[in-house]
Amino acid sequence: MTWIQALEYKANTVVGTFAIFSGLAIEFLIWKQIFETQGLDEINGFTFAGLITYIFLSMIVGQLKSSWATSIEMIDAIRTGELNKYLIRPISFFTYHFMIFVGYNSLLYISYSLLLIVFPFLFPGYAFLTFLHIFGFIVALLISVYLSYTMYYVMVCFAFWFGEVRSLVVTYNLANIVLAGQVIPIHLFPETMRRVIELTPIRYLIDFPVSIATGRLPTDEWGLHMIIAIFWCVVMTLIGQIVYRFGIKVYGGYGA
Amino acid sequence: MSIEVKQLTKYFKSFKREAGLKGALRSFFNREYENFYALKDVDLHVDKGEILGILGENGAGKTTLIKLMVGLLHPSSGMVDINGFTPWERKNDFLKIISIVMGQKNQLWWDIPASESFLLNQRIYEIDEKQFHKMRDELVELLDVKEKLNVQVRRLSLGERMKMEIIASLLHNPSIVLFDEPTIGLDVISQSKIREFVKYYNEQYKTTFLLTSHYMNDIEAMCKRVFVIHKGSGLYDGNFETLINKVKPPRKLMFEFSNNIDLSELNSLKNTFEFYIQDRILTAESTDETLNSLMASLFKLDTPISFSIEDLPVEDSMKSFFEDPEHYLK
Repeated sequence: MTWIQALEYKANTVVGTFAIFSGLAIEFLIWKQIFETQGLDEINGFTFAGLITYIFLSMIVGQLKSSWATSIEMIDAIRTGELNKYLIRPISFFTYHFMIFVGYNSLLYISYSLLLIVFPFLFPGYAFLTFLHIFGFIVALLISVYLSYTMYYVMVCFAFWFGEVRSLVVTYNLANIVLAGQVIPIHLFPETMRRVIELTPIRYLIDFPVSIATGRLPTDEWGLHMIIAIFWCVVMTLIGQIVYRFGIKVYGGYGA
Repeated sequence: MSIEVKQLTKYFKSFKREAGLKGALRSFFNREYENFYALKDVDLHVDKGEILGILGENGAGKTTLIKLMVGLLHPSSGMVDINGFTPWERKNDFLKIISIVMGQKNQLWWDIPASESFLLNQRIYEIDEKQFHKMRDELVELLDVKEKLNVQVRRLSLGERMKMEIIASLLHNPSIVLFDEPTIGLDVISQSKIREFVKYYNEQYKTTFLLTSHYMNDIEAMCKRVFVIHKGSGLYDGNFETLINKVKPPRKLMFEFSNNIDLSELNSLKNTFEFYIQDRILTAESTDETLNSLMASLFKLDTPISFSIEDLPVEDSMKSFFEDPEHYLK
């Protein structure tokens, strides 16, 4: 469905799909400059190639899990009464938009899959050391995509009371880019800050799948972290459902 | 498949603020809320296969009633029972027997052709492949939109879009259909097509229709029974003809003269009738009896290029009724 919609606007789709690579190039140039001017071999255990690999993968995971655009659409749907379209049909607002989000991103999945194929050749020995790491990364990525969506969903539901909460989502998105480690790995954060982040679900959005892919997280710890990540998914889903149930009772169905 | 509404009340919490920056700032820190009653203790019963017209002025509560019946809103108090279902619980089995079309709200996907939206509805409502094709083809044929099926919805005319909306709403063969202003903004031919279609569909499938409209013609053509809402309360529930005979709503006559008019003779008519003339077109708003007398007099003066008698919007035609309902209902 989203492919059909996307293909209706050919130019937008083509430009959008390729524009995402520009961010990766900027990160590469910035960190190259830092390492060269400071004459560093490594920072907190990250060599230049290791750091770029981590950031490279962080940006990919960050793009794939971020549903802020879908969230903005959902907020508008509540604010303008467009939500009626979903409420009168036997479909769930949560599930429908999750499928839309995955559908939109499926174009990105194809682009990035091609990138991941050439990845081991560009940075040999820094990521996807074995097939187990590829498998672990995919599972952690799926958890991250779902967890991220549930976190956005909770914020979306506040639109039932406040009408306009786009600024909340945009602020969270910006904070998330930094705190989840999309720009700088959380391993480079101050100790206290890193410990606090590790107690929250934010840790499982980017760092978890990337640490598995790059081998920074030992394989014997994967299971425990998978369980914690799934626990966060359940908790955030329940919170989302509760907030939605209360919110729908005050929904005004405006616009018609 | 009956509908039972009892003591249904819905109020909305809203706040007022003065215009301008000062008002916005004051409202930001000190907001005064008040409850606005959209519906008050409404009772209604609708039998299977009925076409019920819901009449009322702008803001009377028609759309709120429809939204509560389809489960879009939760009531403040009261109950709605539709074949054992409470609408706002939004159970899938309930959503599969009901449908709604809102004339002022697009429910199709804007950027893709209607045919794609129909396929999506097929999946959502889990409509059997054979049943889906049979129903879609029949509806497309009846509403005469075969040529437009693969055009992006946003590129369709208002009338074409409304027909597509109606098709999308009926693909799953619902038992109850709620139409909120289905003909608003449409040209006369499209309005007529939709009226004919609703009547045919109701007879064919015994589907219950509840519809609101601004046009008396819609109600007259489709509904034997009407429910009139005024300021959120039920005012009249009964036969439409009976109501019309009591209210005798005014209609609008437009009479275009063919030749230069003898003003002195026309002015003498002004002693008996109320009308005005602009660009050789005479316009008058009155009851059928008065308009018939006026027309008889006008035909003696001239053979017109054209003339028409139109219904007024509900607000105007029922104005005297809404101003003093007790006078008409006693």
